[in-house]
Order: sequence, then structure tokens, then C-alpha cells
Amino acid sequence: GNESDLKLTPSSFLRIGQLSNVDLNEDIHELETEVPRQRPNEIPHNEKLLSLKYESLDYDNSENQLFLEEERRINHAAFRTVEIKRWVICAMIGILTGLVACFIDIVVENLAGLKYRLVKDNIDKFTAKGGLSFSLLLWATLNASVVMVGSLIVAFIEPVAAGSGIPQIKCYLNGVKIPHVVRLKTLVIKVCGVILSVVGGLAVGKEGPMIHSGSVIAAGISQGRSTSLKRDFKIFEYFRRDTEKRDFVSAGAAAGVSAAFGAPVGGVLFSLEEGASFWNQFLTWRIFFASMISTFTLNSVLSVYHGNAWDLSSPGLINFGRFDSEKMEYTIQEIPIFIFMGVVGGILGALFNALNYWLTMFRIRYIHRPCLQVVEAMLVAAVTATVGFVMIYCSRDCQPLQGSSVAYPLQLFCADGEYNSMATAFFNTPEKSVVNLFHDPPGSYNPMTLGMFTVMYFFLACWTYGLTVSAGVFIPSLLIGAAWGRLFGISLSYLTKSSIWADPGKYALMGAAAQLGGIVRMTLSLTVIMMEATGNVTYGFPIMLVLMTAKIVGDYFVEGLYDMHIQLQSVPFLHWEAPVTSHSLTAREVMSTPVTCLRRIERVGTVVDILSDTSSNHNGFPVVESNPDTTQVAGLRGLILRSQLIVLLKHKVFVERTNLSLVQRRLKLKDFRDAYPRFPPIQSIHVSQDERECMIDLSEFMNPSPYTVPQEASLPRVFKLFRALGLRHLVVVDNRNEVVGMVTRKDLARYRLGKEGLEELSLAQT
Amino acid sequence: MRTARPCRPARPRAPRSGGTSSLQGHPARPRAPRSGGTSSLQGHPLCRDTLLPARTNGALWTPAGLRELAEELWSAGLPGDLPDLEPECRSLLAAFAEGSAALTGCLARRARPVRLCQGCHGHYRRLLAQYDSIARAVGNSSESHNCAKSILTSDRLHIVVTLSEFFNETWEAANCANCLKNNSEGLSNSTEEFLDLFNKSLTCFEHNLQGQGIDLSPNNYTEVCKNCNETYMKLNDLYNHLQRLNRQGGESAHSAHLCIDVEDAMNITRKLWSRTFNCSLPCSDTVPVIAVSSFILFLPIVFYLSSFLHSKQKKRILILPKRIQSNANLVNIQEKYS
Repeated sequence: GNESDLKLTPSSFLRIGQLSNVDLNEDIHELETEVPRQRPNEIPHNEKLLSLKYESLDYDNSENQLFLEEERRINHAAFRTVEIKRWVICAMIGILTGLVACFIDIVVENLAGLKYRLVKDNIDKFTAKGGLSFSLLLWATLNASVVMVGSLIVAFIEPVAAGSGIPQIKCYLNGVKIPHVVRLKTLVIKVCGVILSVVGGLAVGKEGPMIHSGSVIAAGISQGRSTSLKRDFKIFEYFRRDTEKRDFVSAGAAAGVSAAFGAPVGGVLFSLEEGASFWNQFLTWRIFFASMISTFTLNSVLSVYHGNAWDLSSPGLINFGRFDSEKMEYTIQEIPIFIFMGVVGGILGALFNALNYWLTMFRIRYIHRPCLQVVEAMLVAAVTATVGFVMIYCSRDCQPLQGSSVAYPLQLFCADGEYNSMATAFFNTPEKSVVNLFHDPPGSYNPMTLGMFTVMYFFLACWTYGLTVSAGVFIPSLLIGAAWGRLFGISLSYLTKSSIWADPGKYALMGAAAQLGGIVRMTLSLTVIMMEATGNVTYGFPIMLVLMTAKIVGDYFVEGLYDMHIQLQSVPFLHWEAPVTSHSLTAREVMSTPVTCLRRIERVGTVVDILSDTSSNHNGFPVVESNPDTTQVAGLRGLILRSQLIVLLKHKVFVERTNLSLVQRRLKLKDFRDAYPRFPPIQSIHVSQDERECMIDLSEFMNPSPYTVPQEASLPRVFKLFRALGLRHLVVVDNRNEVVGMVTRKDLARYRLGKEGLEELSLAQT
Repeated sequence: MRTARPCRPARPRAPRSGGTSSLQGHPARPRAPRSGGTSSLQGHPLCRDTLLPARTNGALWTPAGLRELAEELWSAGLPGDLPDLEPECRSLLAAFAEGSAALTGCLARRARPVRLCQGCHGHYRRLLAQYDSIARAVGNSSESHNCAKSILTSDRLHIVVTLSEFFNETWEAANCANCLKNNSEGLSNSTEEFLDLFNKSLTCFEHNLQGQGIDLSPNNYTEVCKNCNETYMKLNDLYNHLQRLNRQGGESAHSAHLCIDVEDAMNITRKLWSRTFNCSLPCSDTVPVIAVSSFILFLPIVFYLSSFLHSKQKKRILILPKRIQSNANLVNIQEKYS
């Protein structure tokens, strides 16, 4: 035991070429026995951690010889074909995203209609005869069982499909590789999960997940193959790398926003705000194209479905309806009122986030087993139905049925010919409730109903977000905001004793904007999304003010919901700028050292050992001059990635074999692309004992011009390089060009501005 | 001035032989240089070139012109009475006027309780026909086209069009087509059935109320509730049935409504039934509802408590970073969480 223990101390296996033949299995065994001794290092989950699970994406092209050769071969005309292919892919992304949105919309509409009719008939029946508790049970059971299916598929098949997917896409566009996030399986689970959770009556929307769905579609189409289905269409092979894929994913996210809200410009701005750090005009234009195609596809298909084929009246999954009537106009005097609403939205949003923070922390710590997660989702669904039922049961707010367009009017204890007004809010899909709150004529809800609804829905939505179901937070936020906004409008017209400018619908819209802004803290894109969804440009100004106020007020307390969840997931997320007080730190303090380096001509056995070392999952290895005489680290020659090494090992590109002419052909860039993005693990590659003694020549495959910084570079400078160039590895060298350290994403992301100045996060295995 | 006549090709020549209509194409019409006149004038090349300037420069309004107009009116024997219109057109217009008056009267009289569709569909249909005969060619084609033009579009107000639009919109809003037969002659069978039942229940209400006497306390309507329950339920069911049929038939929001007569009748009955008579007293079973809901609301508490107590808290294994000066930091962090 002692000998192996010695081997596992961090410093020893980092010395190059020093590792003897360690059997992999033995290694793992040793690690297991080591666990008890590491007890002091075990801590409960908290927000100040960075998970080792997440890797970086390779946005920086490895400019090795193969790459350069291929780029030189491509002539001008071929580049034009590539450009045309990009446009074709964007069009396809738009069309498919639109179609997926249509599918979700139509299925949800029908299934929810079926459910509500069933429950309504039941309630109607039991209102006369007595025994309403059975209706309650029916409703709760229906909800719980539908949500159970939705939660089961998410928890057991693809956990990454949980939630709205916006944090995950934000991370992906930031450059973090979230496992499984853009797989076909995720898309399928996401779509089914969304349908089931909306039909299950949870306080969720289907808009957020559209963004994730659009991104998966984009990532899938641009690769021209599906690894899950094992189908390779042999098209778009040029785009099989992270850089290109990221561009398409940002187009997909934009197309998703556009299909969800009918807001193509908002979609483009969403990608801009959340995503790409490099931005070029052509890419923006293509993304806009994809967005437009997406909303148009959705619009035309839904129009055909609704029977007015040439009408084009449903541009998004949610339509806020038309806000162009005269009473919906606002005057200058109202602007301070809107700003006040922004303040309220910010405070309520912060409260929402704070509550959700504690809940999420509890869930991560205690409810981590999939079956518990499913049970929790079912309970939330049952409670949601119960709360809705009790509210409807207790409400005495009856409105005349005539002249109203309620989809499922529940009479309950109202007089014949009247319906329960609380039921329009609870007994409906959230999207419809939002639109009702915006557009129902004044007097459709009494203040008591709205107040109770706001409070209940606030807690339900807060409780629901973070469950293991795929569902978004946009619509619940809008709904909460619309409810208190409408309440605000009503009380305003009571106070002023005049109804000149107090149409409650207008205030409902502003409240919705304030609440959503207070929760998600998006700025530019959200303003444009709301503006486009209302279809009224003059609302741009008040919406912008409301969102700004909500963000400022909310940021004073806690950060936005998405950022919070990214942090709780321990994702190494790089913000736009380095923390402001980090100038005192230099690359020397930030970097990891010592670095596992490879020699330009390296022994195969060494490479295999380094790659299969489970305690260090390094992905990039500086290549140094092979100088067998000295044990010292020699000058930096290049950088090679784990994925490249694996492909080399798999194809057995060894010096000896080349000399013996055993290799049929030279390795080409295509071989690397074919393995992308799921490179096989090192364990699946068999290297025989004889082959371990062979040598491998890396000079052709390594990136000969990696980015380097001297040790004295400051953290903000390093950060800027990373963020602007999308780097994955940055080598720190001394003045003799010898490798002294390596800066990766996690080294930078661990510095964060906390409450008491600069904080350092610790790395953890999750 | 008669020399101008050949220049007005759009005007019919035939009626001019008749004494009364000799004013038809008279150039001195005050309207002539404006919209209607100019367009027809421009149709003729000669007029555009030679005569138009002479007219527009105010020659019409000279005292001589006015005197001539008055003379001509006098000679036609129709002082001030529709100098513009042929007799056929005038009779059409008169018919439309009468028809619309009748329909208006009918609508207003039947506004409360609403009986629009039952009572006025005949009027409405007639008015439609009258409008049609104005608008479309009936008999001599060229003539009636002329009629349509001069009645419907020759002035700014378009009063006939406005009126007929108003009636159409009202009819649409009332959704009367829904309770009429397809050829809109008479009420449809289901509507007849409904109204029958409606009358029956009203009679039933009346009957039972009379039996009780007027001086009974207003709360005591148990007789009505008991005796008329069957009829009322039938009526209610029929109404719901009709509504469901209607929803399935049409997609657009407008056809979701039944016709106003049926809706209003049902509304009155329902108000009587549940507000005035207070008959629909749903059994409120509050106790079981409270029991079931508190049971369901109690479940999450149990769930969270038990998972807090029994589930093993997820621990994270800290990884020692390999850094030059990170030892101090690491110690801090470890201290914090131990």
C-alpha cells in the first residue's frame, strides 16, 4: 500500500516520463481505500464551489498542420459553398424550431382541454349532488399522475432536461460544456416533459424550454448527424467543431425565443446578451434570419391549424394580444407610477429568488435521489391543484357568463348563468390566464380575488421552479406580475376616483414586465421581447424603465434567478469582466502548477498513463521539446488536447509503425471530426504492452502557436484574453519560454466578487 | 347650355324623352363639377378639353345659371323634389326607407326582453332584398346600375349604405342566423323547441307563484322550485346542448354564441331561478373538502421533513488545487466548513 500511496500524492505523477506502469484497476482500487482519509475535505454542498464535472468548449481552433493544410486546400468557391450551407442550416433551424413549437402548442392545447373538460364536468356534476371532495381528488390525482410521467422521464432518462434550460444554454454559450445538453435525447425529453408539466397544471410555462429546444435543434442540424441515432448524413462536416457549433446554437436559441414570444428581434438580442463573446455582423444577420423563419413557420402552421390559413395571427406560443386600443395608451403622468411598479417588481423578484435559493439548496443537499425528485414533483402538482380548488371553492366572486370568452367557465356556487372569476385564473393554462388578465374588461376580477391569486401563485411558482420537470419560469412570472399589476391598476382607479387613465390591463402588462424583470434580470432582450409580444412600439419606453428599475432594485438584494442557479450548479461561468478588485492578482497566483507536459516525441505508455490517471482529468497538455538528457522542463513548443491524443492512440499513429509502413494513410482532420463530439474514453482504447514502448510524434498534431502569458500578467488581463478569445488553456511561461503553469477556466472562475470583497471558490467533485 | 349635353355620355339618353327626367343630365346641377360630375366628364375627351374649364371657373353660379336651373325645375314640375333620380330609383329608395323604418321600429320594440330574431327576421329579410334590388341589376340593367350609383355612392354620406351596414352589423352581433333556418325563413326547429320549453317554464313559474299568493314572504319559493324543477332542468340541458353543438360547429369566436333571443331567454330564466327564487342551492360539503385538502397540503410537510431527517446529505469532496500560494486560502476554506 505504501508505494501506491506515494504515487498518488499530487506532485509525483506530474513529473513527466517518471510514471511507471501503473495498472488502471489497481489505481481505482487505491483511490477507494483513500476516501476515508479524505473525510475532512468533505463538505455539504454550497454556492461557493466549482464542479470538476464541467469542462470547457474548444472555441479556439487548434491550428495544427492538418488544419492549415485543409484550409489551404479550400479555395474561394468552396468557402462560398460553406457560406451558403450556413444559411441553409439557419433556415432549417428556424423551420424545425417553429415546427417543434407548433407541436408543443397543439398537444398542450388538446391535452389540457381534455383535462379541464373532464374536471369541469365532474365538478358540475358534484356541485348539484354534493361530494365535491371527489372532484378535488380527481383533479389532484390527474395532475399528479401526469406530472409523475413528466418527472419520471426527466429524472431517470435525462436530468439535464430539467428546468427551463436557459441557465444551461447560457453556460454553453459562455463556453462551458454541460454534459448532454445538446443531445437529441435531451430534446425529446424536454419536449415531452414540457407538455406533461403544463398539462399537469404546474405553475410553469412552455416558453423557456423552447430556447433549449431551439439550441438542441441547431446543434443537431449543424452537425449533419445524430450520434444518438447513429445516423451520419455525411453533410456539413466542416461544421463539426465547437466554434462553428456555438454559432449555430446561438442561432437556435434566438429561434427558440422567437418562436416562444413571436419576437424575432428579441431573440437575436437574447443571443447577443447571453451568448456569444465574439460577434460579427454576418453571424447576427444569419441569426436574425433563423429567428424570422422560426416565427413565420410557427405563425403559418398555427394559422392553418386554427382554420384561418392566410391570417398569420399567432406569431408566438404566447400572444399578449393587441394593445393598440385607445384606452391602452399611456400618458406622461403615468411614467412615475410605472417606475414605482418597477421597484415593487424588483423587491418581489428578489424575494422570489431568495426563497428559491433556499429551496434549491435544500433540494441539492437532501432531495438528490431521482425517486425522491419524482415524488416531490407529484406532491407539488397535487398541492397546486388543491390550492386552486380551495381558492375557487372559497371565492364568491361571480361574473356574468354572457359576453365573456372564458374557455372553461366553472359555475360552482355562483348563480346559474354566472361563472366563478377565480376559476378563470386557476382553472386554465397559465398562458391563457396571463392574456385574460391583460385583456379582460375592467371589473372582471374583484380585488380580493386578484390579491389571493397573486399570493398563492407567487409561492406556487417559487416552489415549482427547480423541480425535476422541464418547465419555464417566464409565464408564471408574467402571471404573478399581471395579477398584482391589475390589482394595482384597480386600486389606482379607486384612489383617484376616476377611470380616465386607469385601464387595469395596461397596469397588468407593466406589472408583468416588472415581475419578470425582477426575477430573471434580463435587460435589453427582455424589453424588446415584451415590446414585440405586445406589438406596440410605444410601450418600449415604459417597459424599459420598468425593467431597469426592477433590475437595479433586485440586484441590490440578490442576483438573477438564472445566475443564481448557475452558481448553485457550481458551473465555472465567466462573466463579462473580471471581478473589479482583482488587479492585485497575477497569473502566477492564479495558475495551476506544476503542469503535466508531454514531450514532442513521447513514449506511448507515458501518454496512456497520463490520460488514464483518474485523479487529474486534464484536457490540454503543453508539448515541450523532447530533450532526453535533462529532466528539466524544456521550452514550450505547442499544445495538444486530450481528444487529439485519444484519436492518435486509437489510430495508432506511432513512429515505429510509420517507419515500418504499417500505417495505410496519413491521419487527416476528418478523423478528428468523425470522433467529435463524443471522443471515446481512454479506457476503451486498447494499447498492448509492446505498443507502450513505441514512440508517438506530436509535432504534426499539436497546436504550435498556443496563447501564452508571462507570470506577471494581471488577472483582469488574463481574464480578458480568455473571455474575448474563448480560450480553454492559457500557458504561463517564464522568460526562457519554459512552462511554469497553466490557466484554465476554473482557475479564473473561482474568483468572485462576494459580499465581503473578493472570494475564492474551491474545487469539488460533484 | 343644351349644347353640353352630347358631352355627357355616362348619362342615359332614353329617359330624356320623358318630360320629368329632362333634368337628368342638366349641366347646371350644382354637384356637376364635383366628384360625380367630373369623373363622367373626364370620360369624354371633348369635354375635358373644351367645356370643363368653362364650368369650373364659376360660370354655373352666375345669376344666369341659377335662373336657368330654377326655370328648368319649374318646367319639370318637380320643384325641389329629387331632381336627380328616376322614378324607378325613387320608388326603390322609398321602399328601402319604409323597410328600414319598419325594421328599426321592430328592433326597438323588441329590445327588452330580447325578441329580435323571432320578430324582426321578416323585416330584415325584406330590407336585404330591397337593398339588393338597389345595389344589383333588377330589370333593365343599365338603368338599375345607374340607380345603384346615384343612390349608394354619389354623395359623401352614403346614408343608404351606412344604414344597411348598421342593420347587418346588429344582425351579426345578435347572431340571429344561429336560430333561423338555413334559408333564414322562420326559426329553426331547435330554437322553436327551446322557446316552447322556455314558455312552458315561464308559465310554470307564473302558475306556482299565483298559487302562493302575493303576500307570501319573498324567500319562500319552495313551491316553484319543486314544481318547476323538471322543466327548468330540461330547459337548461337543452341550452347547454345547443351551446355544445354550436361550439363544435364553428371555430371563430363569433359563432361561439347562440342567438341573442335564446341567450337572453335563458339568462332571464336563470336569474329568476337562482337569484329571485333562490332555487339552485348547491350542497356545500365543506367538511370533506377541508379534510381532503388539508390531507394533501400536509403531505409535502411530511415529505420534506422525512427527507431532511432520513436522506443522507449530499457531500462534496474538495479537490486540493495545485497552486503556488494557495495553501493559506485552502486552510481558510477548510476551517470555515469544518
